Amino acid sequence: MTGYIARRLTFAVVLVFAVSSASLMLARFAPGDYVTESLGVNARRAAVDAARARYGLNRTFGEQYRDWLVGALHLDFGRSMQYDRPVADLIPERAVNTGILAFSALAVATLIGLPLGVVTGTRRRGIVPAAIRAASLVLLSMPPLLTSLFLVFVAAKSGWLPVGGMTSSGGEGLLRHMIVPVAALALPLVAMFERLQSQAMSETIGQPYVVATFGRGVPLSRVIWRDALKNALRPIASIYGLVVGTLLSGSFAVETVTAWPGLGQLMLGALRARDVYLVAGCAAAGSVFLAIGTLMSDAALAMVDPRTAD
Amino acid sequence: MRLFVAALLLLAAGCRSSTSSDSSFNKGSASTRGGELTASIRTEPRNFARLGPREATTDLVATLTQASLIRINRVTDDVEPWLAESWTRSADGRQYTIKLRPNVRFSDGHPLSADDVLFSFEAAYAAGWADSLQVDGKPLKVAVIDPLTVMLTFPVPFAPGLRILDNMIVLPRHKLQDILKKGALQTAWGLSTPPSELAGLGPFVLSEYQPGQRLVFVRNPQYWRRDNSGAQLPYLDRITLDVVPEQSTELLRLESGQSDTTASEMPADAYASLKRGADAGTLRLFDLGPGLYPDFLSFNLKPDAFAGDPRASWLQRDELRRAISLAVDRRAFADTVFLGAGVPVFGPVSPANKRWYWAGTPKIPHDPAQAKRLLASIGITDEHPARFTILTQKGRPTFERGVAVIRDELKKIGITVDVAALEGNAVIQQIVSGRYDAVYFNFFLSDTDPALSADFWLSSGSEHFWNLEQKTPATDWEGRIDELIRAQAVASDDAERKRMFDKVQEIFVEHHPMIYFVAPRIFVGSSTRLGNVMPAVSRPQLLWSPDTLTVTH
Repeated sequence: MTGYIARRLTFAVVLVFAVSSASLMLARFAPGDYVTESLGVNARRAAVDAARARYGLNRTFGEQYRDWLVGALHLDFGRSMQYDRPVADLIPERAVNTGILAFSALAVATLIGLPLGVVTGTRRRGIVPAAIRAASLVLLSMPPLLTSLFLVFVAAKSGWLPVGGMTSSGGEGLLRHMIVPVAALALPLVAMFERLQSQAMSETIGQPYVVATFGRGVPLSRVIWRDALKNALRPIASIYGLVVGTLLSGSFAVETVTAWPGLGQLMLGALRARDVYLVAGCAAAGSVFLAIGTLMSDAALAMVDPRTAD
Repeated sequence: MRLFVAALLLLAAGCRSSTSSDSSFNKGSASTRGGELTASIRTEPRNFARLGPREATTDLVATLTQASLIRINRVTDDVEPWLAESWTRSADGRQYTIKLRPNVRFSDGHPLSADDVLFSFEAAYAAGWADSLQVDGKPLKVAVIDPLTVMLTFPVPFAPGLRILDNMIVLPRHKLQDILKKGALQTAWGLSTPPSELAGLGPFVLSEYQPGQRLVFVRNPQYWRRDNSGAQLPYLDRITLDVVPEQSTELLRLESGQSDTTASEMPADAYASLKRGADAGTLRLFDLGPGLYPDFLSFNLKPDAFAGDPRASWLQRDELRRAISLAVDRRAFADTVFLGAGVPVFGPVSPANKRWYWAGTPKIPHDPAQAKRLLASIGITDEHPARFTILTQKGRPTFERGVAVIRDELKKIGITVDVAALEGNAVIQQIVSGRYDAVYFNFFLSDTDPALSADFWLSSGSEHFWNLEQKTPATDWEGRIDELIRAQAVASDDAERKRMFDKVQEIFVEHHPMIYFVAPRIFVGSSTRLGNVMPAVSRPQLLWSPDTLTVTH
């Protein structure tokens, strides 16, 4: 197991290095740079040249990358051009905001999606399982952008919830502001977990050992929730970490529509502005989360099915 | 609403002088004094002063927290005395003696003096962003006469005079002098600066900045301006700017009463929602008429841009651009691109610029047959069809719809258009490097006065879009525009200036280096509790005069 974790950790380090380096390179070589964006088309060339020199954009990519790598080894990821602040300061404060959304959405999706999957996986007929399956298909087919726009619209028209932001200056708290973005992120996950769990559950309860347990007169609910559920968790466990990683990397659409100041919104702004160090920093943070998620996924899978760690 | 008199002009002993006659407005009653206004902004500012490149949110923060010597009234377009109480102009029009208001203090209590004005000029030139503070390519000279008097000398007579100072905020020398000496002014007052370290002469002070969420401003207790009854301004206790990147969310916040207004105009497709709210009495809708700076189609007119390209014989010809202007149905363009909320435009100055718009601008008809005849005259026929690429910025619905209309209209006269939609900064890079056929784009000029946007009109200018920064005028007509722009910039007679600038517009329309189709109507919405509003067509439409705004509470 130790060797297994060491292998996964090595992979994670390589992943973070590759993703952040590639994003720095792509942001740098994409047409235009921060200076063209911020000074606009009507800037004098002397002003453009001076600004490029100030931001270090007049250096070769090799020089820029070398300095960035040296800094990154000391946890100095450069300075954001847009915000004129160290990237290492900006990312944690936004990552916390994204983390609040991500873990809340995950908790909601797990607490609702798994039981619903068990219900639909063990009951093939009936109005309730059919309705759950239909709702899941609808939610799965709706992109998060559309879901968040719809929920923001409902919040605005009903007046039940605040529209956008993380807190209100009027004193409305975090909890009420979280409802719309968490729901926008959680609803497709609920559907995904329900579908996966349903499929796994229906396969598991057809297994001979489950049928034999029924045959011994053990109550149905006990067989399902105690014996079958653990074995049916494998598909969920295999994607759980990836879902965590993806959510923590930032949900661009949801954060933008709901004005949630998270990592996704930060990276989107950085990409638009060609703020190269911030892009690289956000990508590094996203890949760290993805690596942690993958690691968690692998560990969970190893616990559910120890053969996978071999 | 009663608007106000800006400056009293006197002619005496060869000098022209102006004295302060403070703006008047519907003063806030006791019941409307105080309260909080919430507005939404799409992006965060770049810094807490206007020490870097211009950007809408940074400008808004400066409008709230800083002040300049004069102010341009965004409704009347007149120059108003602001920190400068009065001034006199020398007979040759080059020197201005400016008297500062007495007893003005920065928000930290430090008194304003002429040294702060001198320092602000030094800072603006040192920071390297002071292109708009130059005349004929040279800086202005500033001298301190006494603690409340400065003398400003222009390198040449300059017709707009002190209007040039609208963008120059007066900075606190006591706060920034050491930073300037260290050469660190360009990065001073960045977003990580604690609000307590900032000081300004504006009506509000920054009290809180939550990155990615909001900026909160509270009343500046030291603010110098008073209303007609002698009550200290601003009326509001607090202004909150919430960061809402998505425009549809901005609209929903406004509709649901969670925001009082937006910092900038709403798109045409928001009109129906705003109108419903206005009809129901839950919102106020301001239709401010056509915008100042419509989108345009511009061709690359750099002389050697198409050397060796077989299209060189027609791609830069006036006839092609005139044919395109005739081929596009501007009414249909307004209906498709701006959902009917647009006004056809035919020249480089929008009718919104009431002072400088040329009333004789010819109304170009929709005439595809004449367009085809013009194309035939430069060898473009069914047998020899034309094809070129229009570059535009992706993610901007009006650009994408506008280019689609142009493409479809030109197809009818035998021109094939390929559309390349790129990110904004990629488009700018292509333009600056001269690697494009044509571009559909937009940019704002620094002022409505042509002498203050000379960089656009002069062939040597960095904003001379179709052929940037020429050493000598590439064409005779650009040379003629150069002469007229230089002459009107120094002319002392306003009517003569207008006549010369009308001629500039006439030449421009004859050669069409940039083709304008439709100016969108500008809409802004606000909550019904917002009072003393003086809506202006330029940004920030409702927030440009924040000290006199009120809310019912």
